[in-house]
This record gives sequence, structure tokens and C-alpha cells, in this order.
Amino acid sequence: MFEAKSINAEHKDLIHDVAYDYYGQRMATCSSDQSVKVWDQDEQKNWILSANWKAHSGSVWKVTWAHPEFGQVLATCSFDRTAAIWEEIIGETPPQGERGLKTWIRRTNLVDSRTSVTDVKFGPKSLGLQLATCSTDGVIRIYEAPDVMNLSQWTLQHEIQCKQQCSCLTWSHSFSRLHPPMIAVGSDDNNPANGSKVAIYEYSGIRWTKTESLASIGINEPVHDIAFAPNLGRSYHLLAIATKDVRIVTLGSPPEGSSQRFDVQLTAQQEDNLSGTVWRVSWNILGTILASSGDDGCVRLWKANYMNSWKCIAVLRGDGTQAKSDTSTSSMPTMGQIAAPNQSSTTRYYKLGTITNPNQVPKY
Amino acid sequence: MSGVRLEVLWSPVHPDKFVTWGTDINLFEVKPIKDAPQSSFKISETTVAHRLASNSSSPYVKCVDIYPHHEADVLLALGQINGKVVLTTFGPTVFDCLGLAGKELVPRHGRQCNTVAWNPSESNLIAAGLEKHRTDHSVLLWDLQRCPHSNGHSSHHAPSSMEPTRPSAELGLSETAHSLAWLRGQPRCLMVGLNNKHLKLFDFRDPGRAVSSTPTKAVYGLAVDPQADHRLASFVENQIYVWDTRNFEKPVLFLSQNKPVSKVSWCPTRNNLLGTLQRDSTCIGLYDIQPTMVGNDEVEPSFLERAVLPGVTGVVGGVQASAAGAITSFSWHPTHENRLININLSGNLTDYTVFERITLNWSPSNHIVWTHGWRTLKTVCDKDPIYSTIDNEAMLIKKRALSGYGLSTNLEENGDLAESKDLKRLWRWLQLSATLVEEGLVPNNNTGHPGVRSVLKKPEGSQPTGSETSNAHGPWAEINACHISARVYRSEEREHALQLCGWSLDRDQFLGQLESAGYYSRAAAIAVFNLRLPQAVNILRKGAEHPRTTSPANLNIVAVALSGFSDDKTSMWRQQCIASKQYLTDPYLRVMFAFLTAESESYEEVLEENEVTVEDRVAFACCFLSDVKLSEYLRNLTAKLTDEGDLGGILLTGTTLECIPLLQRFLDRTGDIQSISFIAARAFPPHLLKEDSVQEWISNYRNLLDSWKLWTQRAHFDIALSARTESDKPPQQVFVSCNFCAKSVSAFMQGRGRGLFARVPNKSKVCKITSCPNCRKPLPRCSICLLNMGSASGAYSVKAGSTTNRTIEPGSNSDKLAEFANWFTWCQSCRHGGHASHIMHWFSEHLECPVTACACRCMSLDFAAKVISVPVV
Repeated sequence: MFEAKSINAEHKDLIHDVAYDYYGQRMATCSSDQSVKVWDQDEQKNWILSANWKAHSGSVWKVTWAHPEFGQVLATCSFDRTAAIWEEIIGETPPQGERGLKTWIRRTNLVDSRTSVTDVKFGPKSLGLQLATCSTDGVIRIYEAPDVMNLSQWTLQHEIQCKQQCSCLTWSHSFSRLHPPMIAVGSDDNNPANGSKVAIYEYSGIRWTKTESLASIGINEPVHDIAFAPNLGRSYHLLAIATKDVRIVTLGSPPEGSSQRFDVQLTAQQEDNLSGTVWRVSWNILGTILASSGDDGCVRLWKANYMNSWKCIAVLRGDGTQAKSDTSTSSMPTMGQIAAPNQSSTTRYYKLGTITNPNQVPKY
Repeated sequence: MSGVRLEVLWSPVHPDKFVTWGTDINLFEVKPIKDAPQSSFKISETTVAHRLASNSSSPYVKCVDIYPHHEADVLLALGQINGKVVLTTFGPTVFDCLGLAGKELVPRHGRQCNTVAWNPSESNLIAAGLEKHRTDHSVLLWDLQRCPHSNGHSSHHAPSSMEPTRPSAELGLSETAHSLAWLRGQPRCLMVGLNNKHLKLFDFRDPGRAVSSTPTKAVYGLAVDPQADHRLASFVENQIYVWDTRNFEKPVLFLSQNKPVSKVSWCPTRNNLLGTLQRDSTCIGLYDIQPTMVGNDEVEPSFLERAVLPGVTGVVGGVQASAAGAITSFSWHPTHENRLININLSGNLTDYTVFERITLNWSPSNHIVWTHGWRTLKTVCDKDPIYSTIDNEAMLIKKRALSGYGLSTNLEENGDLAESKDLKRLWRWLQLSATLVEEGLVPNNNTGHPGVRSVLKKPEGSQPTGSETSNAHGPWAEINACHISARVYRSEEREHALQLCGWSLDRDQFLGQLESAGYYSRAAAIAVFNLRLPQAVNILRKGAEHPRTTSPANLNIVAVALSGFSDDKTSMWRQQCIASKQYLTDPYLRVMFAFLTAESESYEEVLEENEVTVEDRVAFACCFLSDVKLSEYLRNLTAKLTDEGDLGGILLTGTTLECIPLLQRFLDRTGDIQSISFIAARAFPPHLLKEDSVQEWISNYRNLLDSWKLWTQRAHFDIALSARTESDKPPQQVFVSCNFCAKSVSAFMQGRGRGLFARVPNKSKVCKITSCPNCRKPLPRCSICLLNMGSASGAYSVKAGSTTNRTIEPGSNSDKLAEFANWFTWCQSCRHGGHASHIMHWFSEHLECPVTACACRCMSLDFAAKVISVPVV
């Protein structure tokens, strides 16, 4: 039986976000306990806590890493209505050989929002050092550090008014000069009458304009997470949306002569509602597999076959207490027919147990 | 209220017991499913409930609370319709001897008891809330301390209660108490909802007046947050209010519901989580409330709303809210994280654990992490066996990158590293076309890998004269003395195309190769297409005799059938062949007979047989289709293959502009950026590499390698790429310039021969470069050994001395290391430096710069230095 490795995060409240750096060698977590922790991977692939500090005076919603070419830089956003930029500095660390916590200092505090800042993401590095935030009052703000060597100066470049409170945003990862910078933003507004909960904004070189609202897809339920797939040279954009189910939208180039900006296709929609509300979505590095987490405490992995129909390829249970008991895999009728149009399911189940391996638990 | 409402309550002190009540009261025990006793029933995937006892002696129960002190047995306080509070147990218990069981606490005037609550810390106190009576109080506090119990809470003596049947305190004269709740932190404080008008907080140390109060209609279902005494929730009809007693004037939060609310309850194991239940609903609403500062009006309180559907897992859609499925009550488990039990109208119980919202992420290095609960992170990485079943594509690409895929000089060998047949074929074809062009057998057409369509294209303007397609009637090789013939087209261009398809000039040799590779049916079909019927029969015979052929009988029979070939349009042979060829599983055998039985040169069956490789179909078309038909066929086939992203289509397009959409389609379909990038890097002519989409493939692939830390592989890729475009040589990146004359030291050195500068002079030619070659001023000193740069570092001398006796071939590892030891190196931030070996040695033991009074932490400044490239395996 397979068991996932376990790390005791030692946060005092719910963890809201986990972020990997560019190489996947460092990890940052943030929590309702107002703190941020940074974890480094050692040679044995164990995660060691390397820093822990109180970052905000409210729940910290999201944390994200900048590209390493700008240094070791984190951005966080919080219920306390601010977003912050953090940089690791080489402080009074003890000599090598001894373990010392690294020091992160706040380079700047972005206080423009009047309400809780719900998401923060660095732009692609080709745009320089840019940062997008969104908040519950429905404003997207684009900041830029004009001098990448000076992280304490950020200028608010753009303020985009969305009609609804924003919950999440994502930059497109395209490297192409053909594609303008693009941001998709989701709203967790409860009222379906307010229209589509996803909007796509593009930068024309002068201003950001809304170019698509996915009205044809009809996402009127609250959106909790949104993620562009790594582009990887594809001719279209893939956008994963976490709402009451998992949806994957393709944004292709429109047919000749069309006035539309994109050819929007709903590529996949989870057909069952077994996972309940979907909270988070995340792509693998190739943009070929999507991971989603739902209310039922399971992580589901979705993959497209050659016919471009997406199906669930694995369900990972995150519940240690269940895995300890000896229920056989067949006694889980809760996962029946899993999604993917025209595709019978070949779902596999894996039990993930808690292992309390002392090696994985950092002592400090 | 129609019927009897079923309620459920976890015992506050027994982690495995709960009670339900409606008409009668039942005590249940929860057990893991594996040691389920008989007569138990399942309440979740892992637990069963087992009824321990039942009590039907109190038919008029309105409300129930469980004795909150640790005892082996369960003692209940039942609030009855007549206002009595009865203490009862299930069967004989320790409480019997204490005189508690069966005790009745009777108010002066009988009326309905709305609510009853044990004090959670001073467990001798029970508060009861009753309906209004003109001359009586509605909140009665009973003190059981008179009754001796085992652990003797006896410090408190209420002066007014001489008898246990008299309440020790009374509140709310001629008022109605709808609900009440004790505060945990202040054991004498009771929150009461009164008269549809007020929430009042009383302190029984001074019961005369309310400590604080607020006017509100929401007086029902008072619930105090066990995690934070100052936070409470109450409801009225379909409105839920959340209060903070420190700022009691107005609610912190107002939650409007669709239907009347029947219960609210704070989760005891988690901060700020409120469970709510609406009437006739199958779901439990959860509100994750963000605490706000008291008195801070600016901040809008915020909450996250969720709904969980316990008990309907497995029902697709989940919202089939039949009346019987409606949940009537739920109760949080007092200690188990986020666990609750609920009961529905038909009496079904469900044990349910609310999962925390899981956040997750997927790292570039193939780790998946997600949160479990709020203390634990779970990770799966590519070392785990499970990962290969999830994401084998990323693993495959990484593995291929490490094994040097795409870099082999012989293009065909790259195919050996790829698993997919299509890729193998493509690389083989790239090698073939490159060889053909090299040998001059096929015109180049500016691409290096010309496609069939471009070689077939006649030069513009030149009227076909010499290279005109000649159509010869190929004689059927002497079979049955038939004199029929098929129309065969030949021309120089067609011959080129055939070669690109792999049909080499020497057909006998080609067929021999196929035979020895075991492709008997293909060889036979190609022999037939070349009008060599006897040879085809022979090939099949040989195939049948070969021990490894899977169905020798089959081939034998086909050979027999083939040898009976007759061109008579009405012959039995022909009809039989037409009828039975569809039963042949081998596509080559099928097309062979399709060709032999084809009528009036319509070869659709051969040309559209998708299981036959594109090469063979195109080659066939080049033999048997007229110019017009051939170009039409190739055009359609190209469009089709481009649309499918079939790599076989490269044969038609060659490495021209036309192949870009095809490769793009392949990429869209498979996500195999690696193969595409390498095909571009290895086979594309320079002008194609400048195409936007090609550039994008390449930059994406390079970024992928970078984030996997496969920098060596990325550098190899870059080298392969720049080999295609020799003209643009990358400029030098770094110069070392003299402090005095600002001339580049290294550039100057280059004229004197490479490597001289850094190398220690050989014994013959002593050439010390410790000064600027231009102005003769000395170079800076090494901050460790204080010698001018350009001198040998000590480390090298030792090494050189020890190795002089041995013969080291130049370029060997030790040689290189020695060279490196003498290099200039300096900190990018403080600009101090010295010999590389000295500096390395220094920083292995120190953090700060070796220069006096420089506090720069040179070595730790660069994080990237710690990120190590993945070693080549």
C-alpha cells in the first residue's frame, strides 16, 4: 500500500496556500495563524523548516515565489488588507554546520486595497518584476518594481475594476511575443445573477482591458481557484477553474474573420459532484495533468487522452485516520462514475496514510 | 411541528457515545467497522453504531443535555413539556447510589421546558429555560450539590436552596426563555435569549441584573463558541446572527438563509467554524468566519461559506433532497477534529468528518503537496512508485533528456531513445532523407530533409520534357500466362519520392531487408506492388516457414491464394478474394488483395488503408496514380495528417513551413515539447528556426530544462541549436579589464594563444602574466596569498609537483582542476577576490570576505550557487 510522506507543518491554524519556488526546491506555506513558513529540501529530499515569521495581522491567504533571477523573493497577501514583498537576507546566521533560521525581511507593504487581498501572483519574468493582486472589493492591481535590485520600491501601474469581488487570479505562462500578457481572475460572489465569475484581461501595451468573460461557458457559481496551464508551446491556452466542479477551458485562436478575441471551448467538466465544492487546482509542469482538491477530502488527478477528453486518473485520499483502518479499496462506493465526457472511468484509488517518521519532522 | 423531531447529541465526555431522542431516548456506541458487534448498523465507511440502551419512560421530552463530568455512565437531564427537569440514566448506574438518577426538578408552575443545560465546569449546576408564566421565573438554576457525588463539588452553598427541589437561583420573572448557553471561561455566566426581544448575559454571582444585553429577535438556538467565549451565534427564522459580547450592541455578522434555521453550533475543535442547519435540508452549512478586531468598523467581517452533504455520498448530484433525507439535527464531536454526527427524518444516522479545505500545489520537480487537516502536509514525489502511474510523461521527458535524446549525431539513434513508434519512424526518416540528400540521390530543395511533395513538384516554368511521367504497362511477371498489365507511372521525380519513402532503388535488396527483419507481409505486398507476383509468393512461403511467424498457416494459405491469381474479371478467384479479404487481420495482406482485385485503376482501398504506413501508401500512389490524381491524393493526405498531428506527415511536407502546423498539432495533442524542439534543432533549416512558433517551442523547452536544473542538457541543446546557425556566434560574456588602462586583459591574452594566461608556464617557456600585458601595471593581488593574480596558486604547485612524474594526458580531470585553481574569481558585490582555489578554501570555513574589514557575506549571497545541477547518469 502506498503512503504519502507527511510533514508536520506546525501551523497553528488552517494552511491556506503552499507555494513552490521555480526549481521546486523550496516551499512556502501560509496560514490563518498569520505566519509564513519556508521549507528547504535537503539532500535526502526531506523538507526542513528554514524560516518562520509572523507576516501579517490577519489570515495570510496566498504566498508566491518570484523567479530566482530576482533573488529569493516571496509575496504574500492577507485579510489585513495588505500584500507584502519579502526577501531573504543573509543575516546573523551562525557559521556553517549549525542550523540557523534564515531571515526574511519585509521589503514593502502594498496597502492600496481597502479590503482583504485575496490573491497575489508574480507576472512572467519576461515582463520584468511585476506583481498582480486582487481583493474582495473587486480591484486587480498591477505593481511593478522598476529597479529589480531595489525591492522596496513598487509602483502601482494599473488598477482594474472588476464588477465583483475577486477570489483568485492567474497569469498566463506564455513566452511568446505573439501573446500579450494575460490575467484570468475568478470571483467567489454568491449571486448567480451577477453573471460570469471568470474574466480575462489582456495588456495592450497601454492598459489592461477585459477581452473575455467566458459568458458562453456560463460559470455562475463561486470560483475558488483558477490556473493557467504551463503553455509549453501549445497553440492555445488551457485554463482550469475550481468552482462547484472542475472545469477546463481552452482559449484558442478564433476562426478567421471572427470578432471574438478567443475561440472559447469548455474542454472538460467534471460530470459527477462527488468531490463537492472544488477548492484548488494545480497543473503539472507539462500542463498535461491537473490536480484538484475537493470537499470530500480527496485530491483528484485529471488527464486528457488523445481524444482530448479528460478523465480522472487517480484519487488520492488525504485522510490519515481512514487509511489506518482496514477498509479495502472496493468498499468505497462514493467514487463511482468519474467525469470525462464519453469516457468510462478507470479510476484507481490510493490510500494515503499518516506516517510519523521522525526524519520528516523538523526539530527546532 | 409535525411528528416528533429526532435529535442527536454526542456525549461531551464519552468519545464513542451519543444519544438520540424523539419519542424515546437511545444510547449508542460507535465502533470501528472491523469489530462491529451484531445488530449494529453502519453510520460511515469506517464506523458502526450499536444501540446500548433505550429509555422510553419519559414520553414528553422536549430537550436533553448530558452530564458533562467524566463518569463511566451517561446521566441525562431531560427537559419535559410540563416543565420538569428529570435526571435519568440507562439502566442501573453509579448515579443511582448518588440519588441522582430519577431526581425530578419541578418548577412551581408547570409549563413547557424549552431548554436545559448543564454547567460545563461546575457540573452540579443545571439551568433550565421555560415558557412564560405570569408569576414565575423562566430561567431556573438547580444545584445538585446537596446530592453527594463521588468527587464532591461541595464548596458552593447557595443560601436560597434549602432543598434540592428548589431552584438555587431564578431569573426572568414573567418572561420566556427560548434558549440558554453557559460560558466556558466564566463558569457562573449564562447567556439567555428572552421574550423574542433580548439576549442577556447573567452572572449568577449577581443574578439581579444582566451583565450585558442586546435587543434582538434572534433569541433561538444560542451557541457559545467553545474556543472563544465572547463569540456566540443565535438565530431567528431564516437569519443567523453572530455576536461578540465585547461589542454586544450589534451583531458581528448576519447570515441570511433560504429556509428557517433549526440549529447552529460551533465546532469545538476548530477556530471560527460555525455549523448551521436549515429546516428540510440535506446539507449542513459551514461558515468559516474571519475574526475581526473589536470596534474596527472599517473591516467588513468576512466568511467562507460551505455546504456539506453528509449521508448522500454516492448519490450522483447529491441534491435529491427527499423529505425523508432531510437532516433534523447534528452534533459536533467534542474532541475529534471536525467530526459530526447527524440524524435525518427517517432516523438514519451518519457519522461524518468535515474535511478541511485542501490546498495543493504541484512543483516543477514533480512533487505534489497538499494539506491534510491544518497541521499536516502530505507529499508525493517522483521517487514514489505511485508517481509513475500519475505522470509518466514528465518522467519520460526527463529520462530522455538525461540519456541524451536528440543529441546523437546519427539521427536514427535518437529514435532508439524514444519509446513511441511514431517518433522512431520519424527519426529514421530524418536520417534517411539526410543520407539521400548527401549522396545526391534526391534534390535538396533548400531544406535538408525534402518532403515527397516538394520533390514531386516540377521546376517552375520548365515544361515537362525529359522528366515527363512515362506510363509503362508493366507486364505481370509470368503467372498463369496472363497478359494483363497495370498502368505504372515512372519519372525521375517519382523515383526520388519512392526513395524518400524508403523504397530504395535496388528492390531486391530492399525486399530482402524487410524479410530479414521479419516483415513478411509487408515485403510481399511491396513485391506485388512492384508487380513481382512470384517473388511475393516466395516471400510468403519463407515467412510461413520461419519459426517466429505467429500464424504460419495463415501466410501459407495466403501464398496459395496469391499464386492462383487470375485477372479474369469474372473468375471465381477474384470473387472469393473480394469476399474474404476483409477477414484478413494483416493490413498489408488486405491491401495486397485489394490491389490485385482493383477495378479500373481505382485504388482507394489501398490508399485509404490507415493501418498501412504513410510511406508505403505514398510510394504506392507514386507508382500507380496519374499526375493529377497523385497531387490531389497527396494534398488531401497532407491535410489529413496535419489535422491529426501525425508525424508520418513529415514525409510529405519535409522540413518546410508546411510541417510547422503539423508539429504544432502533434504538440497540442501530446505535449511532447522535447521531441518537437529537437526535431527543430536537428533538422530545420536556419530560416525555419526563426519562425515565431518554433522559437516558442525552443524557449519553452529550454525553460523546462532550466527548472529541472538540467543545465548541462540545456547547454547541449543550445549547442545543437547553434550548430544549425553557424553565423551568429554568441558574444563573449565577461571581460577582465586592467585597473589602470581599462584594456581587457583576457582579450589581449587571446592573441598569444589560449590558456597561456591561466596556466602555469611550462618549463620551457616561462611567461609570467602577473601584470597587464598592455600597460605593464601589476594585476590585483589575491586576497589570500597576497600574490599578484596570474601567479600560481599554491594548491596547483603541489598538485603539479605530485603529478609531474605521472603522465597526465591533457584534458584529464586533474589537469582541468589545476587550471581552475588559478582562475580569477571575485565576489560580485564586494569585488574582492583571488585565486579560485584559495577563495573556495576560505569560504569552506568562513562566511565573511577574506579582505580585512569587509563584512560582505560573499558566498551566501548567491542562492543559485546552492542549486545544484542534476548529474548526468
